[in-house]
Amino acid sequence: MATGFSTTLKTALAVASMEWRLEWRQGHQLASVGLFAIASVYVAFQAADHETATGAWTAMLWLVYLFSGFTAVGRLFDRERSSTRRYLQWTVEPMGLIVGKLAHAVLTTTALTALVFAAFVLFLGWPSGIESASRPGLLILSAWLGGFSMTTTLVFVTAMASQVQSGSGALGAVLGLPLLLPQLILVTRFTRGALDGTPWGMLGELPLFLAALSAGTSVIACILFPYIWRA
Amino acid sequence: MSQWNRLWKFGSILLLAYVVVRGFSTPLQPGLVEAEPNALSEGRQNISFLAVGQPFLRPGEKESDFQLILKSGNDLLQTELTGVEPHKVSAKVNIPPSLPSPALDAYLFTPSVGTLFLGNAFFVEGTAKGPIPPDFQTAIPENPAPELGFSFPYQPNIMESIRNLLWHVPMWFAMFFVMGIGFFASLAQLRTGQVHWDHRAEAAVRTGLVFGILGLITGSLWARFTWGAWWVSDPQLNGALVTVLLYSGYMVLRAAMGDDDRVGRLSAVYNVFAFVMLVILLMVLPRYTESLHPGKDGNPGFNSYDLDNSLRAVFYPAVIGWGALCYWMYSLRLRMNRIQHHLLFQ
Repeated sequence: MATGFSTTLKTALAVASMEWRLEWRQGHQLASVGLFAIASVYVAFQAADHETATGAWTAMLWLVYLFSGFTAVGRLFDRERSSTRRYLQWTVEPMGLIVGKLAHAVLTTTALTALVFAAFVLFLGWPSGIESASRPGLLILSAWLGGFSMTTTLVFVTAMASQVQSGSGALGAVLGLPLLLPQLILVTRFTRGALDGTPWGMLGELPLFLAALSAGTSVIACILFPYIWRA
Repeated sequence: MSQWNRLWKFGSILLLAYVVVRGFSTPLQPGLVEAEPNALSEGRQNISFLAVGQPFLRPGEKESDFQLILKSGNDLLQTELTGVEPHKVSAKVNIPPSLPSPALDAYLFTPSVGTLFLGNAFFVEGTAKGPIPPDFQTAIPENPAPELGFSFPYQPNIMESIRNLLWHVPMWFAMFFVMGIGFFASLAQLRTGQVHWDHRAEAAVRTGLVFGILGLITGSLWARFTWGAWWVSDPQLNGALVTVLLYSGYMVLRAAMGDDDRVGRLSAVYNVFAFVMLVILLMVLPRYTESLHPGKDGNPGFNSYDLDNSLRAVFYPAVIGWGALCYWMYSLRLRMNRIQHHLLFQ
């Protein structure tokens, strides 16, 4: 098992493309995540009954996104429970594996963000009192950044929960929710601001915090992953 | 060695006993808390103030030793004291037809406890904007140095609840201290893979969690008193709650793994991650965002409490006492973990 920066990068690319190909071959998994997301949006649409204040709108958007994210990322290490795991343990460098998995998860959740967001605007429209988003660019940035920072944390938590033999689905949620709270607090504030046009000066540090938090969690996850993997 | 062990444990109990007795028996310095009526208008009227803390009327002092002055802008308005009781002052004031500012601050000059201040005590309606006429004005009286003795400082809003400083703050300190032990134990566990480090980490997190929960409860009581709600959405409070939930997740993870032999390594990984999050959530993020919580918003210390010498004399023993008690609990749990391990594997 060779190590080094370029090897890690190559491994990461190989892992990501393997994940991506497998995802398309087993289409039902991607489709089920998408179905879950759209069904949740539809439930939100029915529950909201055409009258949604900005706060409630943001809350529902991120709740739908949170649970879709759990279903999307929660099965990331499912394959590594069996003999595949032993094979990868001997052939693939752990750092490359986690970077590849992270890249794949970010791609998947970016697509998921786009899907949830589009479905949300399609069904629920904009919050009452708002014609359209005051800052569409900022809103898209907030959605993507929020999804990104959630994904980085969830990948780490899923990797950990997948090591536990019994009931790892619930365990992932129990470990993941408190870790995601800070990101959710920041991102909901950011989304609300982008919706009702809060001056940039008052939002300025939120995207920075979010980016810093996700960078921090992904770096720690990459450093710690080899210990989980070799266990 | 065992002599020393007994000494510090006994010492921590003694310190905490001192903290409890001193913390609850020390009187609070007097402060004005409430002015009646809420709004004043032109002409003569009665006003009164309620106070908390030590009585400002000492035996042998007369009403004429006191003086109450209201301040509007930079002008001083005279009043005539009509009654001084240990926790109440009443006076008559003649509001002039013109005032520089409709908001009046109150200053009570006392013979032995210094000057008591209440900002924006009254709001005057219906007067013109202009200087106070000379015959309504007064000068600042002579102000003898206060003789307060051993007493805790009066802070608006906080008042008697300042005693919570001796519980709430040292409990979080103790939690940080023992979680730090857990962090280093987990790092050592990852480096060496030895199981005794895992025993330390588990004992540390379990003890720290107890102190974290106590810190949340005492903080919630304090929030109810000073901010009016049991819980508010505030960066510091969110960080504290998330931290406690995170470490509860650590206990859940261990419980879910049962006696899997990878539990040490996996929970060490989680613990390192959790401690980094704790530092980010409790020590970094709140300083860069607005917070109601004192000592934050760019201010790293807790100077805003104006820790005076009398408070320090109880606060420092409290920090050492709670810290030592916490370490004692940790060492008991550690011993339990070792015995359990011994019974299982030997």
